[in-house]
Amino acid sequence: MSSVTEKPAPPPATAHAIRSADWLRSVLANQQFLLLLALLALVAYFTSRDSVFLSSGEIAAMLTVFAELILLAVGETYVIISGGIDLSVGAIAGFAGVVAAFAMRDMISAHTSEALVLTVGTITCAAIGIGIGLVNAALMNWARLVPFVATLVTLGAATGMAIVLSGGGPIGADSAAISLSARRIGPFPYLALVVIVITAISGLYLHKTRYGRFTFAAGCSAFAARAVGINVRRHLTSVYVLSGLLAGLTGMVFYMVLGSGAPTSGDGAELTAIAAVVIGGVSLTGGVGLITGTILGALILTVVQSGLIISNVSPNYDQVAVAACIAVAASLQALRPAHRRQS
Amino acid sequence: MLAIASAGLLAACSSSSSSSSTRTPASGGSKNVTIAFNMGSEADPFFVAMNTGAEAEAKALGVTLDWQGNPSVYSPATQIPIVTEMLAERPSALIIAPTDPNALQPAVNSAIAQGMPVVNVDTHVSDLSKVLAFITGNNMQGGEVAADAMAKAMHYKAGQTYQVAVGMSSPTSTTDVERLAGFKAEIAAKYPSIQLVAVAYSQSVAATANANVSDWLTKYPNLKGIFAIDGTNASGASAALQARGLVGKIALVGYDAYSTDVALLQKGVFAALIAQQPGLEGQMAVADVVKYLRTKSVAGIPHLVTLPNIVLTPTTPASVLAKYTYPTA
Repeated sequence: MSSVTEKPAPPPATAHAIRSADWLRSVLANQQFLLLLALLALVAYFTSRDSVFLSSGEIAAMLTVFAELILLAVGETYVIISGGIDLSVGAIAGFAGVVAAFAMRDMISAHTSEALVLTVGTITCAAIGIGIGLVNAALMNWARLVPFVATLVTLGAATGMAIVLSGGGPIGADSAAISLSARRIGPFPYLALVVIVITAISGLYLHKTRYGRFTFAAGCSAFAARAVGINVRRHLTSVYVLSGLLAGLTGMVFYMVLGSGAPTSGDGAELTAIAAVVIGGVSLTGGVGLITGTILGALILTVVQSGLIISNVSPNYDQVAVAACIAVAASLQALRPAHRRQS
Repeated sequence: MLAIASAGLLAACSSSSSSSSTRTPASGGSKNVTIAFNMGSEADPFFVAMNTGAEAEAKALGVTLDWQGNPSVYSPATQIPIVTEMLAERPSALIIAPTDPNALQPAVNSAIAQGMPVVNVDTHVSDLSKVLAFITGNNMQGGEVAADAMAKAMHYKAGQTYQVAVGMSSPTSTTDVERLAGFKAEIAAKYPSIQLVAVAYSQSVAATANANVSDWLTKYPNLKGIFAIDGTNASGASAALQARGLVGKIALVGYDAYSTDVALLQKGVFAALIAQQPGLEGQMAVADVVKYLRTKSVAGIPHLVTLPNIVLTPTTPASVLAKYTYPTA
């Protein structure tokens, strides 16, 4: 693939050659298409190593891992397109999961119905996510911290509080939640389907509404956005609240899968989410990106993680493989504007 | 870089809040004995359990315990400033679980130079010659008894094949590496039909441990046993077996006796849990120090104590389970 990208456009000997060169160029300019190709190539490779990779049980397992990652990555997509960064998403997920697990544990011992227990847990997680998102915004708006520092503060605070509250170990042992998280139609766990619906709504909201256009505008140039009458400060507040909300809900996804709230659930998850966003072609400088890119990025990371175990490659290579994905995706992005200028 | 920054943040938050001490000069009357007890990460259930044992012994012996550590970060960078501050308060003795054998040596030397008896618990500094005692659990033995417990749960018979997998935290975690070595040595010595087919790392994240086990269950449909070598792997693996309806079909042996895992042991999700004895370590350390302070003699204080890890199974009496379960929030 790289040999194709490096090849200079052939001399325009014939009309046919010109047409095919144009076609190649337009394909190369479409990072989404390349990501899809990369994903399919990875799936084909891991399936050739062991056909069980495409069994419905394994697809369900991978979709569950995808569900643990994608909401964080979608929130991060909004934030990065708006020109910021949110380092607190993993910590929010861990902290929200622990607090909700305490609430749910008490309800379970009082024999409350599982539906009500999970509803309360979900609302608790959402509320905590929104709350920390507001703290992030307050640190930026009032304390004038840049997003990196503001969300680093809440990352540390939420991680620490989760550990102090829980005493370090997991809270709860909710077998009913685990069974529910494992229930599926064919290869699709219900839990993953719910997460996919939330992802789809968030994606449409980003690309099809005025709210989404404001987000891009703020990321392109906050100055210009302000000049055309967008309340940038209020808009960014809502973006960090949305990111917090999606991170809080991820805490609930972790709880469902593990049957407990573990304080370390989200450790390092912010970096995986940022990796998915970067692989997906969202520009870290803001104003550019597609939700489909983030989805493909998250799928690629999920496929690599499971694929290495399925093909019995030493798990030490996992991080190297992820690093390679980021490097390839980022260089494609660096090459792309050049193509655009030429055409 | 992030880790360092957040560690610094946590350290800054912690140093003022976590003390349970009263300022008592060591030179005061023999009634006012204060023992400084310092460890890596205070909130780790292992150290919470150690605190319970140490606190009970201190109360029984009428001495004061100054218990301090970083809330969550297990690192010499955060431990050294805390122990330095504790020594500045001139305690009567120091009990320490060093996060690094060399980095904490100067702190230990300084305490000894000031005439304090020093005991190491769980982990040790490189030069133990002037240390009063070192009390620790036996990870190698823990790995061995884990293999025995797994073989028993799989109804091991020579001649059959038993595929098993091990979930670790990271390839560099020394306790995990020792447990794995013990596990492998026992298999090689006693159970030639057990085949270790996979090892995976969780990076101390339960969700990752869970995903690893899910992948194994696809890859190895005949998997017979899983050794979840630490607490996070135990919770990730137990959830994965429950999700796939494989409870009782795969012999899951976990490490550490978190209360949630003990509850799952009683339900049969775990075939066995290997429990350490942190409470006893803390209790013995305090007893040794007080004995030395009162008698000024090392007589009757063993220099090295290695406590065995305990195997808990679903048939272990509830009273015994309660004794070894780590207290949690």
